[in-house]
Amino acid sequence: MNLFLEVNDVSFNWGENDVLKNLNLEIGENELVSLLGVNGAGKSTLLKCLNRILTPELGEIRALSKNINEMDLIQLSKIMSYVPQSVRSSFTMDVFDVVLLGRRPHINWMISNEDRDKVSNTLRFLNLEDFAFRRFNELSGGERQRVIIAKAIAQDPSIFLLDEPTSDLDLKSQIEIMKKLKELISNPESPKSALVAIHDINIAARFSDRILLLHEGKILASGKPFEVLTAENIATVFGVSSSIEWWNDSYIRVMIEDEIKEKD
Amino acid sequence: MDPLSVQHIEKGKNQLIMVVLLSISTFLLAIYALGQGSSSNLDMWTTAKILFGIDDPSDLQSDIIWKLRFPRILIAVIGGVALATAGSLMQGCLANPLVSPLTLGVASGAALGAALAIVLGITIVDVPNLGIVVNAFLFSLIVVYIIIQLGNLRSISAESYILVGIAITFITGAIVSTMQYFATDAQLSQLTHWSFGSLSRPELIDVLWIGVVVIGLMPQAIRWSWDLNALTLGGDDFAISTGVDPSVIRRNILVLSALMTSVVIAFTGLIGFVGLAAPHMARQIVGNDFRKLIPCSAVFGAFLMLFADTLGRTLFAPIVIPVGIMLSVIGGPFFMYLLLKDKGGKS
Repeated sequence: MNLFLEVNDVSFNWGENDVLKNLNLEIGENELVSLLGVNGAGKSTLLKCLNRILTPELGEIRALSKNINEMDLIQLSKIMSYVPQSVRSSFTMDVFDVVLLGRRPHINWMISNEDRDKVSNTLRFLNLEDFAFRRFNELSGGERQRVIIAKAIAQDPSIFLLDEPTSDLDLKSQIEIMKKLKELISNPESPKSALVAIHDINIAARFSDRILLLHEGKILASGKPFEVLTAENIATVFGVSSSIEWWNDSYIRVMIEDEIKEKD
Repeated sequence: MDPLSVQHIEKGKNQLIMVVLLSISTFLLAIYALGQGSSSNLDMWTTAKILFGIDDPSDLQSDIIWKLRFPRILIAVIGGVALATAGSLMQGCLANPLVSPLTLGVASGAALGAALAIVLGITIVDVPNLGIVVNAFLFSLIVVYIIIQLGNLRSISAESYILVGIAITFITGAIVSTMQYFATDAQLSQLTHWSFGSLSRPELIDVLWIGVVVIGLMPQAIRWSWDLNALTLGGDDFAISTGVDPSVIRRNILVLSALMTSVVIAFTGLIGFVGLAAPHMARQIVGNDFRKLIPCSAVFGAFLMLFADTLGRTLFAPIVIPVGIMLSVIGGPFFMYLLLKDKGGKS
């Protein structure tokens, strides 16, 4: 398996607060990896470090075997696309033009018909064609989130970094978006991978090839969903006592029993 | 081609037609404006024939059109283009629709430079009127330079630049007020008159130089439109993920807009409104895509300046009301109407 993303001994702090501590992880081609952890665990910080929005104090990040600090931002954005938790602005654009921004790293100034078609196909792929000429700021939070995911797909990267991409979506839309992402990532003819910061354990278990549990600045556990999402790990990371049932290694039922009292 | 792509092309074409129509209107207005004034009025057809050399004008007509009115009409167009372009760039790079080219200290710097020349006689070039122009130009750039440096010290965010800009504006404003307090009546009158903003000051050669600078900077402004699209839509994180370095692009755009603005207001005095209003008017036609917004704002800027100046010259002729005042008087209510008619906030 080719490694698409390598994170070696990365540390990051916000002032006195060490968020990431010598963190290591690897993601291979055609792998959809979910990143789980409590609020403030550093999931968003890690994704931002990977996309050079933040600069780690220590460590090295390699995308497609190349150090990301040795690339300019245009090169990096051809390889990676990042979906933030939310996008809100005083200005707005047509949805088509927002998704067209995904083609920006690939073009100089003029838009080709191929670029337009790529945008049109992406909008259809995510069932957004009816929104194409509506204004972005007039959409609901969930619709906007789908448009930003469409922009990331139109960018045609090898690596997707998605920060809670389903947080504003209804249940049906969450499943649809994750299915589409899974379809994109698992296509062997076009090798891609994704790292998805997510809170929904059911969605993560259902669609992830691998799950990473981020705890106290490090990866506590990494592996297939049924290997990682154990009652013990959930208790350690989330402080919640539970019993867990699995079906076909990808459908999970977590029954919350009680909140674990903090150890003295 | 995909039907959605076709629809996108068609929408772009319709917007282009609107911009072309606005450009033609601006051109016609310029011809009309050339014929109008306090000394003699010519109809558009006669003016056009003189302008294109079809008719031989009398010496008086020729002098009025070519020497008196032509530089004024030209600076109205070029100044409008420059200030509106700078306005759309500043609003974009600071992601704030309330920003105008004068927000970030350009005006206060220019006023400081002019006050130093008029009140204290401190000029870089020791020629009476040119001294004020050079001072206004250089001091506006110096103030913007200081703001950018201080903004960088704090952080690279748009808010930092705006906050530092406001602080510097207060400081320079206090210095100018102190000079006004100690100025003689004649100096005070000259400084106040300078601050009104008028298109009567630049000579033809000045206008041509301003034109060279503005036309030289325009392609670069348009080249950054993709970067501005990314910055305005989703902020810095979104821009980085689209391949745009917000700190670099913001600094470059601030410098370019400051150059465009200061080269005009150094000659004309303070004209602020066009840089705020023209981009908003352009948004009503082409939306917020800067590839179209920058050229459309430029045309709107030229149209607004011409319209306000022509009205200022003809409304109470032979009294001429400075364009800065006319722009605010006509443009203010119209601008308010545009903003209020879109309850959903189309901008």
